[in-house]
Amino acid sequence: MPAKNHYAFVIDVTRCIDCRACLVACSVENNVPMDHTRIWVHDQGVQGIWPGLSREFVPYNCMHCDNPPCTEVCVSGATYKDAESGLVLVDQEACIGCGYCVEACPYGVRYIDQKRGVVDKCNACVQRLQVGLKPACVATCVGKSRLFGDLNDPTSEVSIALRNAKSVTKLDYEKGEVDTDPNIYYLNLQETDSIHSSDPFDQVAQTTLPRDPHYTISEQGWKKVAIPLMALAMGATFLTQAIFFTKQLLEGEKEFED
Amino acid sequence: MSHKNIPLPERQRLRQKMLKKHNLANILTHWFNVASWLLLLTTGIAIISSPRLGITPLWWQETFRNIFGSDANLIRFHYTIGFIWIFVILFNVLIGFRKYFVPFAAHRMLLDRDDIEWMMTKPLQMLGFKKEKELPPQDAYNAGQKIYSYFVVVCTLGIMVTGPVMVYKSLFPPIVKQIAQPIHFVCVFTIVAWLFIHVYMGAVFPEEKEAFFSMFSGKVSAWYARAHHEKWYNEKLKEEMEWEDKVEQEVLESEKFKEENSGAD
Repeated sequence: MPAKNHYAFVIDVTRCIDCRACLVACSVENNVPMDHTRIWVHDQGVQGIWPGLSREFVPYNCMHCDNPPCTEVCVSGATYKDAESGLVLVDQEACIGCGYCVEACPYGVRYIDQKRGVVDKCNACVQRLQVGLKPACVATCVGKSRLFGDLNDPTSEVSIALRNAKSVTKLDYEKGEVDTDPNIYYLNLQETDSIHSSDPFDQVAQTTLPRDPHYTISEQGWKKVAIPLMALAMGATFLTQAIFFTKQLLEGEKEFED
Repeated sequence: MSHKNIPLPERQRLRQKMLKKHNLANILTHWFNVASWLLLLTTGIAIISSPRLGITPLWWQETFRNIFGSDANLIRFHYTIGFIWIFVILFNVLIGFRKYFVPFAAHRMLLDRDDIEWMMTKPLQMLGFKKEKELPPQDAYNAGQKIYSYFVVVCTLGIMVTGPVMVYKSLFPPIVKQIAQPIHFVCVFTIVAWLFIHVYMGAVFPEEKEAFFSMFSGKVSAWYARAHHEKWYNEKLKEEMEWEDKVEQEVLESEKFKEENSGAD
């Protein structure tokens, strides 16, 4: 069932100056612990040959995918794609912080808040959306690099920006059963379907995104070993008692003779 | 089998005579366990919503989520009942440790040579082989029940350990919580697999009818005990005879005492 709204971020890469005001605004708005962040800015490094040099900063956060791999692995249903807004949200009261989704996310935008024992990530500031405000990162963006809005509404800021864009890139991940269809639209990103940070000081961000979703050993073992094993065991015992029960029904009950 | 050669009046007498098999503590713990399992299993299955694992049908999940209002409430209910269950079971075991648990474990759970022979014969008989071979006499619980009890004890401990790990989520690192989930699942469904047999044998299978009613009254007939749990029946008989001897002795002594006293008058 398609969601009522189709919220999306539109990020103009050429307008980002790596000031990271969005990180601060986000952390303040959402009480993100000091050692974590919900938004990252990839420094793509200096590219090209002189004098045609360029440098790109690619901000990213949760892409609120149409087919998120993270909700596929969540055991308790704490992480879900909201039917109303189409956003991928975490119900932290139902979350136990096992991190299956953290491993599965191809964009690495989830983190475990060990203090509370839950997973946290960008929720597009739903608390602000509900009162008609823009997400904190969008509201604070000095270069108007970040835009946010409803793609179902043709008059929204993002729809207009996308209609007038020269180039639109999505960091789509499509391999096997996983096809994320992310909802961050990059404007003017150089011809690429992945981003790679070359920032030597940013150890956390030294990754190429999107990466392959990683399914943990326990999740794999559960899916591939435990479930078939249990199904076999239950099938065997159920069949055994079913055979005896049918026999009992067909032959009648053999009570002890008095 | 030997008990089939018993004359009819004797058989009728044995059917009338009742022996006590379960004490009240065990009966109440058993039915408390049943009630808890019904609540925990239904809500527990409803929680597992991962489409990748694909265990629970969506209508089941939705039904329970709607009953409780939200996923978080469903989980809260599950672990509240779970903690009550852990508390009561552990409380019963610890409080009755010396009176109930140790004798139970020592006299009713340990496997002996007859049990091993039973295990090597019974499955073959169920498949239709060696029908003529006689089964060795069994204790208060037969070898199958004893094996089941081991699975139940181990898996119950597994559930009791992995459950709270997932509730006290901030105390444990993610890797522990990751592993706890499949262990919880495996422990539960190992018991559920055995449960099919347990429920069928206990509640439906005609020859074990008395076992079902004994879970309410605590008593089985001597006829049933003799046919199914001969070793235990013989023990009971021995106890009874010892008791009779003792009573007889006392009666004799008191008569003797009376005689002596009357002689003195």
